[in-house]
Amino acid sequence: MGAAEIVRTIVQEFPLALYGSMLVGVICAFLGVYIVARRVVFLGAVMTQVSVMGIALTFLPFFPLPHTVGSLVVTLATVVIISRLLTGKKIPRDAVLGVVFVTSIAARILIMQKSPKVEVAEIENLLRGDILFVTPELFILMIVAFVVAMGAHLLLFKEFTYVSFDPETARTQGYNAVWWDTAFYLLAGVVISFATHMVGDIYVFGFLVVPPVAAMLLARKVTHIFIVSVLIGLLSAPVGLFLAFLFDLPSSPAIVGVASVVLGIAWIVNVARRR
Amino acid sequence: MATIIEFQDAVLGYGSKAILRGITFSIDTGDYFGLVGPNGAGKTTILRTILGTLRPLSGTVTAQGENGLPLRFGYVPQRDTIDYALPYTVEEVVMMGRYRQRGLFRRPGKEDREAVGRCLDHVAIADLAGLAFKELSGGQKQRVLIARALASEPDVLVLDEPTNGMDLSSRLAILELVHRLHRDDGLTVLLVSHLLEDVANYVSRLAIVERDFFKVGKVDEILTGQNLSTMYELPVDVRTIDGRKVILSGGGNGGR
Repeated sequence: MGAAEIVRTIVQEFPLALYGSMLVGVICAFLGVYIVARRVVFLGAVMTQVSVMGIALTFLPFFPLPHTVGSLVVTLATVVIISRLLTGKKIPRDAVLGVVFVTSIAARILIMQKSPKVEVAEIENLLRGDILFVTPELFILMIVAFVVAMGAHLLLFKEFTYVSFDPETARTQGYNAVWWDTAFYLLAGVVISFATHMVGDIYVFGFLVVPPVAAMLLARKVTHIFIVSVLIGLLSAPVGLFLAFLFDLPSSPAIVGVASVVLGIAWIVNVARRR
Repeated sequence: MATIIEFQDAVLGYGSKAILRGITFSIDTGDYFGLVGPNGAGKTTILRTILGTLRPLSGTVTAQGENGLPLRFGYVPQRDTIDYALPYTVEEVVMMGRYRQRGLFRRPGKEDREAVGRCLDHVAIADLAGLAFKELSGGQKQRVLIARALASEPDVLVLDEPTNGMDLSSRLAILELVHRLHRDDGLTVLLVSHLLEDVANYVSRLAIVERDFFKVGKVDEILTGQNLSTMYELPVDVRTIDGRKVILSGGGNGGR
């Protein structure tokens, strides 16, 4: 297939895959800046695994919810608990996240073991996520999550950045840091839940981390970091999809791979700048 | 001068655990008030109660302006409580002091930018406005945080361990700056530190705090060898050399 034919195929036959992956790329790259800045990168991995476990739970007879709803409910419930534990001082942050991470994976494996075989295959497909087969329903849900999360962050940018930068002083100014943190994690939870269901955990976690880190290496102002991260999230998706078609590669790893190459270039640029 | 902060027989602590009991003192408008004590003595507990982020377990604590409205605090936190992951500029950091005035959903405007410029100028760091906060020296960072506190148009400037980890010249420069803000602008200042000499040589009233030991009054009344020996549980003497108070401990080798 030539380049033009690949582009035509992607745009005409897989438009939801193209626009969906760009949508997820943008919102994850945006939220990821906060996640990397707050030093809770592992939270991204944890939330994707919790979301996946939520999907797996819906295969059990006592949790008969649609996959998306199940994933959302479990993710948001976990977020509320985690956000409380993350602000506490008794258990270290990474220990809290580690416990939730490993518990989610263990629970998922146990659930899969107890599911009929035909459903195990289905679960595996859902857990991997498949960009090429994004459904219109999921795409619409993702747009809603995108608008809500981006809208909230753009309207409340100064509050989220202040609480993240200096929670103690923000508290003396009347900002309830715990409340703002919980609000942030809930918004992130909604996005991660839908996005993981749509494009898979590797893609979501990759875009929560790789574009923000690349942007931090390239940009020198906070607003520029957000913009560069979002641009990397936006552009990696079509380039990765194109390469996946060209070289017959799985799409999610190909897209994350493109973002990682950008990160590598950013690192080289950063090193060169310092010399 | 009117009383703006008042503790009446307050018991302070966390959860059900009392850390300080029977705390009674007040701070008036225009005071330059120091709160000193060893690490872990309860200074932060008193500070948080004043700032309203901690409620007293019993007794009463009021923090009210002369107009009857809640006090506005310009808080300068310890520098290590700040997250340095993102490269906020000095101007952006100081602008955070204006956020409360703006309220939710509203972006800072021209008036706020002008206020930030004035505050940077007032603490003599206007030339640093575009630099990344995280790349500044300790003394410069402290000035930025003071400028941010001023940008919030406070009734009381509250500084928590402002000279921690600084070299001598930076320490003196920060203390002189705070002294100037009190003297020239008439700002009420609350200075919290475990560095006794830093506080004793600048404030007009002093509280020394240690568990089960709390004294408050004018510096000369409070800063006595007897009080300090009780607080630190070792022999301490207070001398005045060239008008400055010097704390001598143990065998008289000096130090804090």
